[in-house]
Amino acid sequence: MEILPDMDNLSVTRSRTRLLRAAPLCLLAVLLLSGCNNDPYPAGESASSTLFVTMGAEPKTFDPSIGYDATVGPVIDAIYPDYFQYHYLKRDPFVLQLGLGATDPERAPYPCTVTVNGKKVRKTGESWTFHIKHGLRFQDDPCFPNGKGREIIAADFVYSFKRMADPAVPCPVVSYFSDKILGMSHYQDVNSALVAKKQPADYSLPIEGLQLDPKDPYTFRILLSDPYPQLRYLMAMHFTSPLAHEAVEKYGKDLAFHPVGCGPFVLAEYVPRGRIVLKANPNYRKDDFYPSDGAPGDREAGLLEDAGKQLPLIKEVRFTIIREGITAWNQFQQGYLDVAGVTQDNFQQAMSNPTEISPDMKRKGIRLSKQPHIEISYFGFNMTDPLWGGYSEKQRKLRQAVSLAVDSQEIIDLESLGLGEPADSVIPPGIFGFDKSYKNPYRQFNIEKAKQLLVEAGYPNGIDPQTGDRLVLNYDNYATSAAGRQFIALIQRQIGKLGIHVESRSTLLPGFQDKLDHGQFQFFYYGWIADYPDPENFVFMFYGPNKRPGPNANAYANPKYDALFEQMRAMPDNAQRLKIIDQMRDIVVEDCPWIYVDYPESFGLVHSWFHNYKPNPVANDMAKYYRIDTAERARKQAEWNRPNYIPAVVVVALLIFGSLPAVNVVKERTNRHVRRNSEGAR
Amino acid sequence: MLTYIIRRVLYAIPILIGVSLLTFILFYASATPDTIARRNLSAKNPTRKQLDQWKQQHGYDKPLPQQFVSHMKGLLLLRFGNSDANGEDIWGRIRVSAFPSFLVAFLAFFLGLLVSIVLALAQAYFRGTYLDYYGTFLTVLLLSIVYVVYIIAFQFILAKILKYFPIAGYQSGRDALRFVLLPVMVQVVAGLGGGVRQFRTFLLEQMGQDYVRTARAKGVSESAILFKHVLKNAAIPILTVTVATIPLLFTGSILAESFFGIPGLGNYLFDAIGSQDFAVVRAMVYFGTLLVIFGYILTDISYALFDPRVRLE
Repeated sequence: MEILPDMDNLSVTRSRTRLLRAAPLCLLAVLLLSGCNNDPYPAGESASSTLFVTMGAEPKTFDPSIGYDATVGPVIDAIYPDYFQYHYLKRDPFVLQLGLGATDPERAPYPCTVTVNGKKVRKTGESWTFHIKHGLRFQDDPCFPNGKGREIIAADFVYSFKRMADPAVPCPVVSYFSDKILGMSHYQDVNSALVAKKQPADYSLPIEGLQLDPKDPYTFRILLSDPYPQLRYLMAMHFTSPLAHEAVEKYGKDLAFHPVGCGPFVLAEYVPRGRIVLKANPNYRKDDFYPSDGAPGDREAGLLEDAGKQLPLIKEVRFTIIREGITAWNQFQQGYLDVAGVTQDNFQQAMSNPTEISPDMKRKGIRLSKQPHIEISYFGFNMTDPLWGGYSEKQRKLRQAVSLAVDSQEIIDLESLGLGEPADSVIPPGIFGFDKSYKNPYRQFNIEKAKQLLVEAGYPNGIDPQTGDRLVLNYDNYATSAAGRQFIALIQRQIGKLGIHVESRSTLLPGFQDKLDHGQFQFFYYGWIADYPDPENFVFMFYGPNKRPGPNANAYANPKYDALFEQMRAMPDNAQRLKIIDQMRDIVVEDCPWIYVDYPESFGLVHSWFHNYKPNPVANDMAKYYRIDTAERARKQAEWNRPNYIPAVVVVALLIFGSLPAVNVVKERTNRHVRRNSEGAR
Repeated sequence: MLTYIIRRVLYAIPILIGVSLLTFILFYASATPDTIARRNLSAKNPTRKQLDQWKQQHGYDKPLPQQFVSHMKGLLLLRFGNSDANGEDIWGRIRVSAFPSFLVAFLAFFLGLLVSIVLALAQAYFRGTYLDYYGTFLTVLLLSIVYVVYIIAFQFILAKILKYFPIAGYQSGRDALRFVLLPVMVQVVAGLGGGVRQFRTFLLEQMGQDYVRTARAKGVSESAILFKHVLKNAAIPILTVTVATIPLLFTGSILAESFFGIPGLGNYLFDAIGSQDFAVVRAMVYFGTLLVIFGYILTDISYALFDPRVRLE
């Protein structure tokens, strides 16, 4: 009788042993059963005409009146096209061509009366008459009768302007329009009062400067209080894309993630923190073709092989939301992403030197694409600061001395892996007014000259003779990362060579912006990315009336400069405009409110199957021009991603053999116990 | 038991209010309503008018006590409201995102528990032998490695070099398993060091008890002692450390979800903190607190079920 419980124990032990032995096998089985491949997409998708790209952050909105950042740009612009679009291939200068527009808008002087400081003033403004194409349709959507997208008319353009002016819609660029389109600020005021009372804005209220043609539903007029040639560029931004009132009324705030547009693509799927899938829009206009001409070198680069083909060339775009750069880089190397950027994380693997791709990348057929930005980064002085601001000779020389001590190349090497051009003026390459031969006298790194200027400013060796103390320059920043601290140390060292102590004052970005708003800063580092490729979009940062919350962050004000700015802003690009721009540049260079650092650049890596890739820093509607050689992609993906089972088998075998001695011990102990008990029973 | 549960639920209310108050204070200590507005507006330099309008629309223009009361009222009634960043319904998003989080965390939790107990049992069974020593060394080693290193190493070895799994991504339906296996393995292995050490201690503590000595004296085999008696008695401390975490499986892991691109609640909270979306942060903290409280109630109930000596009154 005593043996029975032991027999039970034996079976328990045996079953545990079996379990122990079976566990790795089970794991292997699960591994194999689960398909065991590293393809991150549903089966067959890699072989379809789909572009695979990544999005580095969660999109905030796809609402064309609100979305502004670089993350959402490619999605919004693929869904919401505009009156104008940028020529896909032409650069320097960038060329606008008709998109939804049928003809170039007609511009004419327009006499008007505006209220300035409570007084009525007669002015000569401008009228722009726009004619849109006939037969354009919105995408199919349940907001339309029978779910079929209706025809687009001029009223849909006017509606999008009214929506921008809706106080409940935080449109980031409304200030570009509100002080220029007649009656728009009045419309905003009336609706602000309604919104304050928790009522919806009244879109039926007219705006004097937005007029529909009662006889022609495809024509509308914009009346401006001043000539504003930059309106052309704004008519190429998704904010002015036609909007269907049916969609806004049906979806309300949900329009943010339920876009209803008329572009080459429609949103087919959005999984927050997962993916965004765009599919070709069957209602997209049939007269959009791949360009037949381009910039010099485009034909040789194979960028004109699809000339004349109807757009879009691909059927789907899949954005995978991947926050971690290392993850995206690995997927690119496996061929599951069609394009990747060169970053600090992958520079060592991707590049041999700052201009050449690594042999490993070359072997895979990956090519390098230089991506110019229309952007400038700079240090700014607070021009209202009693020590570092001001316009006296002494104050100017002090700033000029600091400017001469800052070495742009060292900053570019540290911050941007050596990518970027040292900047001499505010206008970057590719924009009218950029002068390659110009050398800013205060941006040629020269410590001796800087020290001399410091003496002339009355601060020899950076010492204030009145107090006997070192000059202190408070550097306000939002750098909290290790890289940010390295950057601060570099600036402290560079300016420190003059004997000036740079004190870092770090906050989070919103806190930093608060400081800028309230003028509570001395010195800061910032950048500006152009909204449109016109010099006005850069030189306006020194225009006195544009001080915060406008783009003139350091409150620079020089009446001579302001007068020249007012003269040039509405001029066409010609020799006279260029002359004025040069004069403005010289004024600012002498006043030295900024230390120009660089015109940033970046590199992209592109797989061999990805065709027609040419980055454009001002346009976002690029996906329709891309072409994918799906057969090549599928072949290379299969070749690069064959699983290697040998290590798994070896590990499982090691586990089994490694556990054998333990199993034997268990058996031995149990047998010993059974024997002992049996002997005891006998 | 019912009275006990009701009492515990009532105790939960001041805890929930306290946690929410703390979140509220901490949030406002790091951000003013202006900075929240600025962060959530897309303009490069929003005007004062735009900032004020945004604050008014989202209720951040009211005095702080009034804001707290109105937030608290909504939370207590499980009305989480809309996200500050994009106006999305928070509860709707929590419901959708909870499943991927739960799938990864559930598999990782149970597989981790199973493997940890099995290994702890093996170590206890072979205590004092080389297997025990090496096992201890290995668990301490596993315990010393930072979590993110596991993620990068597993992604590198299993997904990049050996190509068994996708490096990141997620698909719903049957395909989901392919995507969650790698994060599950990472979590299991990363948790193994701590788990095995802890469970081994629980088991050895029991093995020193009088009842084990008595059983040995009566001639009960080691295996029977370990599996029939020790394991049952060690269940109470094991339950204490595990059951309370079950409800938290819904909230997911911020780091793993971020690296593996799992569209779960961990990722949701991470984004909300990054974009200073106070509405989502306070809702998620509240939701998390609710789950913790639920977890402790569950632990108490499981005591009563496993240990006949425990009575919930």
